[in-house]
Amino acid sequence: MKLFSKLVALAACSLISFSSLSAAERYITLGWAAWDPANALVELSKDFTKETGIEMRYEFVPWPNFADRMLNELNSGGKTFDVLIGDSQWIGAGAVYGHYVKLNDFFGKEGITMDDFFAPTVYAYSTWPKGTPNYYALPAMGDALAWAYRKDWFAKQELQKAFQDKHGYPLSVPTTWDQLYNVCSFFQGRVIDGKKRYGAAINTERGSEGITMGVTAALYAWGFQYQNPNKPYDMEGYVNSDRAIEALEFYKKIYKECTPPGHSDAYMEANLDAYKSGQVAMQMNWYAFWPGVNKDPDVGGGKSGFFANPDQKAKGATLGGQGMSVVSYSDKKDLALQYIKWFAKPEVQAKWWSLGGYSCHKDVLNDPGFVDSQVYAQGFLDSMGKVKDFWQEPTFVELMLAMQKRVHDYVVGDKGTAKQAMDKLVEDWTETFEADGKL
Amino acid sequence: MSFTNFYANKPGMEIKFVGLKNYIKILNKEDIWETMQATAHFMFWTLLLQALIGLGLALLLNKKFKGNEILTTIIVLPMMLSPAVVAVFWTYIYQPQTGIFNYMINFFYDFGEFTMIGDVQLAPWSIVLVDTWMWTPFTMLICLAGLKSIPNYLYEAAEVDRANKFQQFLHITLPSVLPFLLLALLFRGIENFKMFDLVVELTGGGPGSTTEVASINLKREAFEKWRTGYSSAFAVIMFVTIFGLGNIWVKVMNKIKDK
Repeated sequence: MKLFSKLVALAACSLISFSSLSAAERYITLGWAAWDPANALVELSKDFTKETGIEMRYEFVPWPNFADRMLNELNSGGKTFDVLIGDSQWIGAGAVYGHYVKLNDFFGKEGITMDDFFAPTVYAYSTWPKGTPNYYALPAMGDALAWAYRKDWFAKQELQKAFQDKHGYPLSVPTTWDQLYNVCSFFQGRVIDGKKRYGAAINTERGSEGITMGVTAALYAWGFQYQNPNKPYDMEGYVNSDRAIEALEFYKKIYKECTPPGHSDAYMEANLDAYKSGQVAMQMNWYAFWPGVNKDPDVGGGKSGFFANPDQKAKGATLGGQGMSVVSYSDKKDLALQYIKWFAKPEVQAKWWSLGGYSCHKDVLNDPGFVDSQVYAQGFLDSMGKVKDFWQEPTFVELMLAMQKRVHDYVVGDKGTAKQAMDKLVEDWTETFEADGKL
Repeated sequence: MSFTNFYANKPGMEIKFVGLKNYIKILNKEDIWETMQATAHFMFWTLLLQALIGLGLALLLNKKFKGNEILTTIIVLPMMLSPAVVAVFWTYIYQPQTGIFNYMINFFYDFGEFTMIGDVQLAPWSIVLVDTWMWTPFTMLICLAGLKSIPNYLYEAAEVDRANKFQQFLHITLPSVLPFLLLALLFRGIENFKMFDLVVELTGGGPGSTTEVASINLKREAFEKWRTGYSSAFAVIMFVTIFGLGNIWVKVMNKIKDK
């Protein structure tokens, strides 16, 4: 009898261990950047766990280390992540080096069609080679570089009058970079509510992608092209065109004359800090941050307005945002695909937007109530209609770091001329494409 | 590896033998020489300042006075901290609007708004200052050990010979402490040649590339661009440079010791 009891107890223990092991294995790990939308995704994904019983685990990496951490993981064939929300520029490397699972068959089987998603986001976040119907990600988070401004300061009568006197037109949201400069320089060093304020917080960061994202906002507004449209990778006369040089000089002018002291290595967080602390009248940043700014106790609640990147000689905005991919080294690809299938549902996408994520689903964006749903919704639509992305080549990190160096050396480091910076950039990029066998 | 075109992030790529191509490319690259110049500037000034201040402090602390031990403890505190912590701490100190550094400078003379780590001219000095603050105690401790090892009878004999304090310093103290000082500088030189963490945290190599010391450039090539073959060649060049300089230094040190 004693022996029988022991056997029963042993069997029960084994059963419990087995079932708890099975439960423990029903989880997937999602990797993304550590920022506000990630918190919204955690909230959203609780529904997925409720529906499927699959537990969600996360690893969110701060932006400055995001690319390093994730790309090292992918390059080493790591199994940490099952689902990765990777930057748009990674799609080339993800596809070519086999880091991401190709999703065409899965989409076909599950009835997920890319026609349901906003075309520019499909192009940017999902396809490789660009524009072909080869999908390696589901558009997850639409984003673009835009501007926030102090609506309450813009509304001040004395400032309105001073601006009108100086420039001959009312102080309002700038629609061109010339106007942007006028507004920034107007606020630079001005005392408002007893404190000295500055014009704008713009991207100047050197280490990852910051200054490139900022400078390209100006370049695109000047009609920048990465290459000869008829001859791929032919960059001479395009990257270093007169317009590109003018745009780069303009960006430097804004940095030199309109930013707070010490704003020499600033990106998302530094721009947010400068804006929220009331140092600057405007900030350049991603749409992803606008829900947080809009709710901020100091600058939210109607004190801030938002607008798309101004135009100059052309329309353009720097693309941000990410696609959601399944990591090919994952042992739980089936569970990861279940998550993507769930995330693609229109009702989930609608909730995603309501929680602070930027859906790319047409049902959400084309909804008649969308524009009025948030103060930044119209700007988001405007921006997404004119976005342009950096190279998405497999060698994009080399291309990015080269641009970081050249433009930072010129804009912040006062080294050489804009022409020399862009000429050197063409040399660097040519060397990279040659090493990659593209030239 | 340094003789190949290997990229660690390109699975399945054909690895080709490229001979000395990587070495030639590095040695002919203007950007690399700029990082070497930044490294040389950083090394020269930190070593000079640490030698002078370290020796000065050691001479001071070699005297017997009240509070000597507490003062020694306070002075050596910075070198016990992590470079990353020191860098973050100094980033706040250098903060142009709220940092104490600008406040102190402007207290003596009103320079107005200026930024140490964001200014092309000042940024190289900002890292020199922090490294000097952090590592002078190290030089000081080694010099102090040297000073303590000088036998008193040498000074007594010098006094009998009517040597004044300066002559005693020049002919007894300095020659005795010099091998110790050179040893300390050898350690600091090797460390500063491969300086990475402090500078990355403080300036990130900027503004522009003004504080981009060689090891930062090497890290970018090796682990961001993943140019493994190229960066291996760069690492070899850096190793040979520091090994060569270190050997010359040791030979000089031995000659001084023999004298």
